[in-house]
Amino acid sequence: MQQEDKALKDRVREIPGLQMEGEDRGILTLSVGPQHPGSGHFRLIIKVDGDIIAEALPDPGYVHRGEEKMCEYRNYIQNIPHLERPMIADSCGILYPYVLAVEELLGIQVPERAKYIRVIMAEINRCIFELYWLAIYGIFLGHSTMFMWPMADRELLIDLAEMASGARVTHAYFVPGGVRNDIPDIFVEKATKHVKYFRSRLKEYESIFYANPLFQARTVNVGVLRREDAINLGATGPVLRASGVEHDIRKAEPYDVYDEMDFKVITMKEGDSYARAYVPWLEMYESVEIILQALEKIPNGPVRIKLGPNPKGGVAEVFKRVEAARGELAYYIVSDGNPKPYRVKLSVPSFRELPVMAHLLKGAKLADMPSIYWSMNYWPVEADR
Amino acid sequence: MSQSTDGLYVENVLADKINSRFGDRIKVSYLKPRRIRIDVSKDHVLELARFVRDELGFDHPISVSGVDYPKRSTIEVVYHIGSCSRDEYRSFVLAFAVHLPRDNPVMPTLIPVYRGVEYHEREVFEMLGVVFEGHPRLERLLLPEDWADIPPLLKDFHIKGREE
Amino acid sequence: MATVSEFRFSEFVKSILWLLFWVTLVVSLIVLPIIFIVLFYVPEPIIDGQRINPYLLLTMLTNPQIGAPLIKATMETTFFKVVVLPGFTFAALFATVLIYAERKILAKMQLRVGPYHAGREAFWWANSLGGFLQLIADLLKLLGKEIIVPKGADKPIFLAAPVVLIIASAGLVALIPIAPNWVVADIDVGLLAVFALLGFFPLTALLASYASNSKYPFIGGLRALYQLISYEIPLILSVLGVVILAGTLSLTGIVEAQNPYWFIVLLPIGAVIFFITALAELERIPFDLPEAESEIVAGWLTEYSGMTYGLIQLANYIKMYVLSALFVTLFLGGWSGPQIASSLEIFNVTLITAEEANGMTWFVIKTLGIAILMIIIRGINPRIKIDLLLKTAWGKLIAVAFINVFIAVALLYLGVVTVGA
Repeated sequence: MQQEDKALKDRVREIPGLQMEGEDRGILTLSVGPQHPGSGHFRLIIKVDGDIIAEALPDPGYVHRGEEKMCEYRNYIQNIPHLERPMIADSCGILYPYVLAVEELLGIQVPERAKYIRVIMAEINRCIFELYWLAIYGIFLGHSTMFMWPMADRELLIDLAEMASGARVTHAYFVPGGVRNDIPDIFVEKATKHVKYFRSRLKEYESIFYANPLFQARTVNVGVLRREDAINLGATGPVLRASGVEHDIRKAEPYDVYDEMDFKVITMKEGDSYARAYVPWLEMYESVEIILQALEKIPNGPVRIKLGPNPKGGVAEVFKRVEAARGELAYYIVSDGNPKPYRVKLSVPSFRELPVMAHLLKGAKLADMPSIYWSMNYWPVEADR
Repeated sequence: MSQSTDGLYVENVLADKINSRFGDRIKVSYLKPRRIRIDVSKDHVLELARFVRDELGFDHPISVSGVDYPKRSTIEVVYHIGSCSRDEYRSFVLAFAVHLPRDNPVMPTLIPVYRGVEYHEREVFEMLGVVFEGHPRLERLLLPEDWADIPPLLKDFHIKGREE
Repeated sequence: MATVSEFRFSEFVKSILWLLFWVTLVVSLIVLPIIFIVLFYVPEPIIDGQRINPYLLLTMLTNPQIGAPLIKATMETTFFKVVVLPGFTFAALFATVLIYAERKILAKMQLRVGPYHAGREAFWWANSLGGFLQLIADLLKLLGKEIIVPKGADKPIFLAAPVVLIIASAGLVALIPIAPNWVVADIDVGLLAVFALLGFFPLTALLASYASNSKYPFIGGLRALYQLISYEIPLILSVLGVVILAGTLSLTGIVEAQNPYWFIVLLPIGAVIFFITALAELERIPFDLPEAESEIVAGWLTEYSGMTYGLIQLANYIKMYVLSALFVTLFLGGWSGPQIASSLEIFNVTLITAEEANGMTWFVIKTLGIAILMIIIRGINPRIKIDLLLKTAWGKLIAVAFINVFIAVALLYLGVVTVGA
């Protein structure tokens, strides 16, 4: 213990701005534990010297369920409900690459209407998750209005999702072959109305949240992530784009009908927590644009290709990725010709943010910890799978 | 443009670059639109990773997966790498797979090249038993502390109550 | 005894008669003789030149026309002033209105409704005023809860801390003038007494957190200590300008000195600093670091449950009333304002003169306005970080407060205002 402390102190001395007086200053180990109002089902072991974090060790695994092992026991269609559970707030985002991969494996072409519906639902889910994330950011910073407004606006979008799929949060709407059922007739008109109202509400967030000097005092220049570090550490999603990297899978490798949609990739150069909070807000505007365009262009037709009871592909492997709300979600599926997959590997954005979190927390002040931690878009259940 | 409409031109160019540099130390496993998989042995994987990152511009680690093939007595560790800095490779994913013997799966860690694979390698360690030499903290990540069984993603491990 | 009781009318009448019998017995045999014995030895009060003996007292109580001077005399006693107006009852009522206003206004700002169901029927004509009895419901709920003292906690201090808080808040209430002759304690150094009493609060926070014997209250108590002590200095400094211009430390004197210009016109910077430091002293958002929910559960009052929690919240809201009232007294002219109220009189005896009633009305309006401003600020802002908190207090606020003092002295020497305005 003494040796470990001493080694840690030596490493700590290299951090700029951190001054240790006297050799006997101890390092306090704090556990921002799984039962804390500020962490979710996740533990961060923080070693603190005074007010500065010397080292942060993330400790996920409190909600590990063995998703990948479970996938090997069920066939491709049966895997959908439980694969959705790691990320219930963005359920279309976590199922999308799976259905795309299975469709490539089975070699089927999805009808056009299904592609448009999938794009619309994926963008609605993106907004649902970003609003939830903003709301919890408000709780972390002690801003109760920032909690109430996004939750209220989220209800409009959840109503749309419920209209289409029947459930408010866990839609289980995407299946290999299309979507589970068609959208009702009033969906297009209601969606246009809701989404336009939502856009007008988004404009109001700027003055009360982002232009608020106290919010800026807590997030500007806090947790600055440089571009090279972001790429090398494997950051993804808004975290990557807030550090100046223009990388969005919807533009880089378009899937379904994203290549027919006209939208921008939002990037900011600063890479601090403020940029990481600002990028999702701008991205929600782009999502609204995509939804409106898709609603106009949506064709008629079937929405599902019904597969047999036990669809199977050949001996092959597939790697498909998609831009979910938090970043790049990828599935690596190995099939050996059976109806049950041989291996399914989920690569989730939250798990990829763990080294970024550890890197940013080192040398930060303890009071900045909530701001940095939550700006990583970390969802504990998804990281544990 | 790297679209699959004009055949696998860019993919072939990429494979040629790697082949010309490494010769028979690697083997191109398959070439699909925007997906290339290279099989490499554990002795050359660090050099390949450095080459791929510095010369070809694949610098964004996406994931590390371990797959257990009991019939071939190997465990495969597959690294998927994407590119953020080169526009022509933005939609590509390069996969390199390391075949390890099933009874002694040891390989060097790729943290010196890609810092972001640290937690992925820890997960492969605890789920499949692969030891990564040089990893700063190779210990349990997702499994509970009192896990006393074999690594769960091996095919020998069966979920209780759901025998194959 | 029967386990299930049934209602029988005869039983009901019997119980009422039994009650009447016992009340009559006790009153006539015990209470009335005690009254007469006491009154035998106590000198009879003289009201309006008449000696009040017990029979005249009872006549006055039944016949209001003759009894009006009695009411007036009661209103002039210190007891009435301490307990009812402008003392504890007035402050408690104000705090009640403030709690309701806070919950409703905050809810409206956050696209919610706030308390809605308790007391709806009385306000069927105004949907948005429902729920004004919610406080009574919460009070009854808190009264019914068990007071849990954590293991290893210092029980006497743990239970005494909320009481001390109420005592300090009530002491502050006693110093605030709400109308020309209506102040409980009209002392010459009123402002100094206010600051002395304000010094109680950091002490109580520290005692409460220390006595709780738990980690989170400990951190919260230290933070409360840093915050409250750091912000007392700009608070006092910002008021220095007012004292220089008014020439007196007595609160009534300061209000009378704001004639014809209120001090907020002459010393706006001081007013702003006072407002900010008042928010910090109240531990309200954006300064609610000691109670940061997402970081340290509830700060130094984590371990308080049941009525002790209720007492702490009551003390908090009374303190909010006091600091708003102080702001009004020091900077907004106290009770002065154009005459809009008329006097309160019954049966040709004036209980409250027109001037005093007018003063009270304006005082209530102004204090409510400042309190509502505090509530709105709560809705807009997140929480401030501790390093920014301390930097602002010790660096910027003290510097600006000194500038304010120089402005006050300059105003005096340049002859713009004379002492006592």
